[in-house]
Amino acid sequence: MTTTTLEGQVREVLATVPDPEIPVCSIVDLGMVERVAADDDAIEVDLLPTFIGCPAKDIIGQEAERAVREVAAHREVRIRFVLRPAWTTDRITEAGKAALREFGIAPHWDRGSGPVVVPLMKPGSGVRCPYCGSTRTLQESSFGATPCRAQHFCSACRNPFEGFKEK
Amino acid sequence: MPDEDGRLSLLLSLADDELIIGHRHSEWTGWAPHLEEDIAFSSIGQDEMAHARLLYELAEPLAGRTPDELALGRQPKEYRNAVICERPNGDWGYTIARHYLYDTADDVRTRALEASSWSDLADAVKVIRLEETYHLDHARAWFTRLAQGPVTARDRLTRGLEQAVAESLALFEAPAGEEALLADGVVARSSEDLLAEWLGQLGSDLEAASLDYVLAAHAPVGDLVPTSSGEAEERPTLEVPGIERRDGRWVHTGAFAGEGGRRGRHGEDFQALWEEMTALYRQVPGASW
Repeated sequence: MTTTTLEGQVREVLATVPDPEIPVCSIVDLGMVERVAADDDAIEVDLLPTFIGCPAKDIIGQEAERAVREVAAHREVRIRFVLRPAWTTDRITEAGKAALREFGIAPHWDRGSGPVVVPLMKPGSGVRCPYCGSTRTLQESSFGATPCRAQHFCSACRNPFEGFKEK
Repeated sequence: MPDEDGRLSLLLSLADDELIIGHRHSEWTGWAPHLEEDIAFSSIGQDEMAHARLLYELAEPLAGRTPDELALGRQPKEYRNAVICERPNGDWGYTIARHYLYDTADDVRTRALEASSWSDLADAVKVIRLEETYHLDHARAWFTRLAQGPVTARDRLTRGLEQAVAESLALFEAPAGEEALLADGVVARSSEDLLAEWLGQLGSDLEAASLDYVLAAHAPVGDLVPTSSGEAEERPTLEVPGIERRDGRWVHTGAFAGEGGRRGRHGEDFQALWEEMTALYRQVPGASW
């Protein structure tokens, strides 16, 4: 009974840990928290890295540990990054998607049809512009300011914007 | 570096390829033909180095050396990357030719590794492949764009392929101890088997772009394109050793150019790369940044 409550508390504090590169999204919003286990001796948290080379990974691990310590009392805190299952963009929660959009990063699932891979600039990537809502957009490049972002351009409001890279 | 464990040889082959080509990609930072490509190659390089680190982490208990020690603390002859990865970037044509050859080859070998009986490796490779798909798309898009011309672009791509094709075959030079790895199911298919698949795919791709002559002994297409002075430029005939066309397919028949990378044989290019890449680590061992 207490275990369940403690696990719930751990998830609550993890929901306050932001991705430093997308501060509006917590690691829970991004679907990075795979497993939480707690008993009288220890609290274990398994996290999934979004992109393997994400430079924010180490900071996220440290911040998660700091947050969990708040509710850990005498217990040992163990934060691990694991690779199974592979993190995919499907794991981002509805709240996370809304926060991304608000932050100005288009979530790729704002597209009407199925996944389209657009390696070089190509009209009609169809991702919804986070500023004006138009889908008259093109993807300029699959590679952006961080490993997880792509670059788009909105033909309607003439703004460049970023999109989350689909995985 | 002890060679007895086939798993270590395999991991170092994969990781060193990724580290070294990632290092070359990073050299486009600030220099690519336009900003998007500057960012693209920087980002791809960052991904490749992260993949190398992940594989070095798997290698750590086998090698008794940390990922940093493996990446930066070895002597040049201890690196197992294929020679093609260490070649300087040259021009955009060579860069795209090698990027295309490397990433199509990497796609074939990593797909096969998803079936590895070593679950840690299979898991790592699955995650890596979710990112490699973007590299492959990028390489193919640029390959197609340059192949479609204009003449200068196609000519540069052709020269790049002429320089890179032969050595890229050695990406499939078997790591030491492959037989034991096959027996244990750590690798599901032999390097020769993977090379056959890749060569078949490469032949089709090149044929579709009417560039398949780069696999045969040939007079480069540049001979048909006069320079501004009106004179055809002299270029040596290229021969790709170790492959021939049989029944409409390219097959591997023997040794290949650039062989020896998997056993630590590297060229002058590697020495210069290694000196730059490891300079800080050698000056301040154990430095972190």
